[in-house]
Amino acid sequence: MTQIIKANGLTKSYGGVRALDAASFEVETGRIVGLIGPNGAGKTTALKTILGLTHFEGELAVLGRNPYTERDALMREVCFIADVAVMPKWLKVSQALDFVAAVQPRFDRSRAEGFLQKTDIKSKSRVRELSKGMVTQLHLALILAIDARLLVLDEPTLGLDLLFRRQFYDTIVNDYVDKERTILITTHQVEEIENLLTDVIFIQHGRIILSTTVEDLATRFVQLTATSEQAIRARQLQPFYEREVFGRVVLFFEGRPAEELDDYGETRTPTIADLFVAKMQGAPA
Amino acid sequence: MNALPILIRRELWEHRSLWIAPLVVAGLIVIAAMFPHADIHFDRADVATHKQGAIFALFHSALTIPQFLIISVQLPFYLTDCLYAERKDRSILFWKALPVSDALTVISKFLVAIAIVPLGVYLLTILTDIAATGILAVRFRHSDILRVILRWDTSVWLHTQGIILSALVLAMLWYAPLAAYLLVVSAWAKRNVILWATVPPLVAIILEKIAFGTNYVAVVLGYRLNGIWRPLDLEGRLSGDAATMTVHGTGVGSLAVLENADLWLGLLVAVALIWVTIRIRRHSDDT
Repeated sequence: MTQIIKANGLTKSYGGVRALDAASFEVETGRIVGLIGPNGAGKTTALKTILGLTHFEGELAVLGRNPYTERDALMREVCFIADVAVMPKWLKVSQALDFVAAVQPRFDRSRAEGFLQKTDIKSKSRVRELSKGMVTQLHLALILAIDARLLVLDEPTLGLDLLFRRQFYDTIVNDYVDKERTILITTHQVEEIENLLTDVIFIQHGRIILSTTVEDLATRFVQLTATSEQAIRARQLQPFYEREVFGRVVLFFEGRPAEELDDYGETRTPTIADLFVAKMQGAPA
Repeated sequence: MNALPILIRRELWEHRSLWIAPLVVAGLIVIAAMFPHADIHFDRADVATHKQGAIFALFHSALTIPQFLIISVQLPFYLTDCLYAERKDRSILFWKALPVSDALTVISKFLVAIAIVPLGVYLLTILTDIAATGILAVRFRHSDILRVILRWDTSVWLHTQGIILSALVLAMLWYAPLAAYLLVVSAWAKRNVILWATVPPLVAIILEKIAFGTNYVAVVLGYRLNGIWRPLDLEGRLSGDAATMTVHGTGVGSLAVLENADLWLGLLVAVALIWVTIRIRRHSDDT
């Protein structure tokens, strides 16, 4: 597998504040990667450096290119959706199709029109006349018709209702995902994309605190639900985080086989959302 | 793939008033030609034959004024808005997600203001002129007005159009640095673009006056704002016989105007400011 993104010591400061602090991570072809972190953790900054929108320190290669100096060439193979509010209000649907078709050589117009036919969007409508959900559908129809190697989604479903959010990710899974395409998603609504992801990268205070595949997650992390008495013994195995739920103690372990913990209570692989909370609150700030 | 044509179309999609307003004015001129009931009687002796061509030329030049006037008001607003609006509504993230360079984007906006709209309006003024003149010629076919003012003279008409076109091209070149300056402000200002475009030069003028008691900034700006007439070499002639000037030529038609150093100096400034604008947009996002 080849690397689509390779970051090494990636750093970006805004007036003394380090939005990215020596972040190192890799993304391989064909993966669906969730870049997950609390607000202000540096997710959007990371995406902006990957998309060549901002200058950075350290090393960063996207599709083998420096995204900052080779941005124009890079954007032929990279697509991105920032949250849905960014389509210009005056743009007509037909104009959006005309424009993307003229500037993006990998755009398949009939494919985009096919997507739009399944919606209530009319080609004469302007963006300002569409509901927020419809704007997302339009944006998605444009993006999914581009045969890009890397799709970057920055909080793509922000402010959408549940139906549109579900539909958004279903469309991506059904119509876009294949072995050649890589998707990088940031969100803080982790639960929604949990089943979609093949890899997760957790980011906090501009630092990468976890970067792993979802398969490895199952062997690396164990969540133990125990009674208070069991928990006292289990704590000697050095959980990195614990919390109390309905009088039971939930402990999180890293690098311990589940069999070793079976004697202390119920074990399972933590969900990405639970692991995220554990990592964020358990990690030294 | 050359993206320039679609980028120019994109500007006309967003800023529809750039072509709607001149069209409306053109329509009004044509409508106006349908209604006047004036009937002026000239004594033939009043109008010397050699002046008939001059009157004809002035009439056709005057017909273009409303349309050029309206775009000269619109274009500064377009220039200050075009790189600001995309940041304000965050659509810059949509445009930047597509493989279009910042350089081409900025150049397309500059070209729309400095060439596409003026030349488009020029073509429109020709159509307006022909339509309005045609209507008037039919309506006043028995009147002195037709005989004196509207008597068709192809060579004078072509000459007049040539002068208008060369004056227009010169104006485009002369005002290029001002257009580029407005683009810089449009790309840079966080808000109040029009204030940022106008207040700093005024402050510079006042500060210079207070600090040194001189007016260099004011003179340079005033020269650039009004000075189109100097490179055109019209100043002296305007005070003379306007009609004669229109027919018998001015500096406009001659290439001598292109020897004016200030014209080229201004273009150099424009190129530098465009470069600055491209740099600013390169670093712009929605923040």
